[in-house]
Amino acid sequence: MIQLTFSLLVGFALLVILYFFVRGGKVSAEGSAQQLREARQTLDSLQFSLLPNDLVHRIFAKEDLEYVRRAAPSQVQSLFLSERKDISLAWVRRVRGAILGLMRFHRGHARLYAQLNLSTELLLAFNFVRLLTVCRLLEIALYVRGPYAAPGMVRTVAVAAGKVCTISEKSLVFLKANQIDPLRNDPSRHGASV
Amino acid sequence: MTIFTQIVWLGGLFLEGVILIRSIQGKSFAKYSLFYVYIASVLVTSAALWVIYIYIAKPSVNVAVYWPAQYITLALGCGVIFEISRHVFAHRVSLDRLARWTMLATFGLIFLLVAVHAFLLPKWNVAANTADLERDLRVAQAIVLMTIIFLTGYYRIEIGKNVRGMILGFGVYVGASVLSLTVRVFIGPRFSTAWQIIQSSAYFAALAIWAVALWSFEPERPSKPPSDCDDESSAGYQALADQTQEILVSIGDHLDKPRTK
Repeated sequence: MIQLTFSLLVGFALLVILYFFVRGGKVSAEGSAQQLREARQTLDSLQFSLLPNDLVHRIFAKEDLEYVRRAAPSQVQSLFLSERKDISLAWVRRVRGAILGLMRFHRGHARLYAQLNLSTELLLAFNFVRLLTVCRLLEIALYVRGPYAAPGMVRTVAVAAGKVCTISEKSLVFLKANQIDPLRNDPSRHGASV
Repeated sequence: MTIFTQIVWLGGLFLEGVILIRSIQGKSFAKYSLFYVYIASVLVTSAALWVIYIYIAKPSVNVAVYWPAQYITLALGCGVIFEISRHVFAHRVSLDRLARWTMLATFGLIFLLVAVHAFLLPKWNVAANTADLERDLRVAQAIVLMTIIFLTGYYRIEIGKNVRGMILGFGVYVGASVLSLTVRVFIGPRFSTAWQIIQSSAYFAALAIWAVALWSFEPERPSKPPSDCDDESSAGYQALADQTQEILVSIGDHLDKPRTK
């Protein structure tokens, strides 16, 4: 019976994978400058508009909650909590997005090497999956318990987000993005294209 | 045999002939030699089975010839997977090696199980368990094919029209075979007619896909690695992997700490 179930599972899995294989879009040119530009733009927006410490502190600041609880009626309090929850969730999703971005970035460049280290790749894949799962759990925790119920988790997310930024930054430096499109990397020229 | 199966059978012979003729006209036979050898072998065995079926018309002879012929084409089908892996991972030595190891391990495991059965169970013999063995070998092919598709998706490796068609056609056939053989083993002879229809229809669909995808030879797009990514610069890859790993571990530590408090 186990053998039959296993065979059926393999058969179905193959057909499902084939479906996604056929649906899969065209792969972009390998190591394209476009990829690097997009990675750089994402990183810039994260670093300059989302991740500064004071912003993170502001989103999760307990003083705000205390002030609203002291000074505002209950309707305003619930509105405040609801909006802070939305903001914190959006913020965690950005962290998850950054980890996904790093994963895509690593895969996109690792494929260029003829001699991949399979054990390293497996370890990395495992770590990516683990981190993405942890981020998802944090998202659920914030959704269920709110931004002020788990301050430890919030700190964690903040630190993690900063780290992800560092990773992306290092990767971009490593891949010599500056040499590919120096104008795009100039912070004063955000969004400008040549 | 139903009229439907006969039509599909003859249609299949026609498509196999078309594929082979186009491979010679388009000079792609040498490029995908293992694949075309497989098609040629299926054409020969199918035509021979057809002649036996029409002129000898003895089911016992048909069955006696069918399974050995099926095993030969099954073995050559592994050549198709080998061909796919060779083209998909042409510039990725490690991935090609992984696909081959997966192939070796899965097929090795199945033959080991057959040997164990043959030695430990005196009443068990291959001839009496042909459907079981074919299903197991098809499962092995499916696993290797899934590994190749997963790796191409994971590393976003570009695949040309010809090889894409090979994967799709072979995948459809192997997937349908695994499912129908499994159900046949489970239900028994009552499912034989349905099994014949599914098996021949799936193979016909595969042939149609191959005929379209391999109508003309399309060279794989050269995915030449940049100068700093060649075989000699494994240090470059190691640096990339180490860097990613190092900071992933660091993130992991930060994510884990508060949860353990």
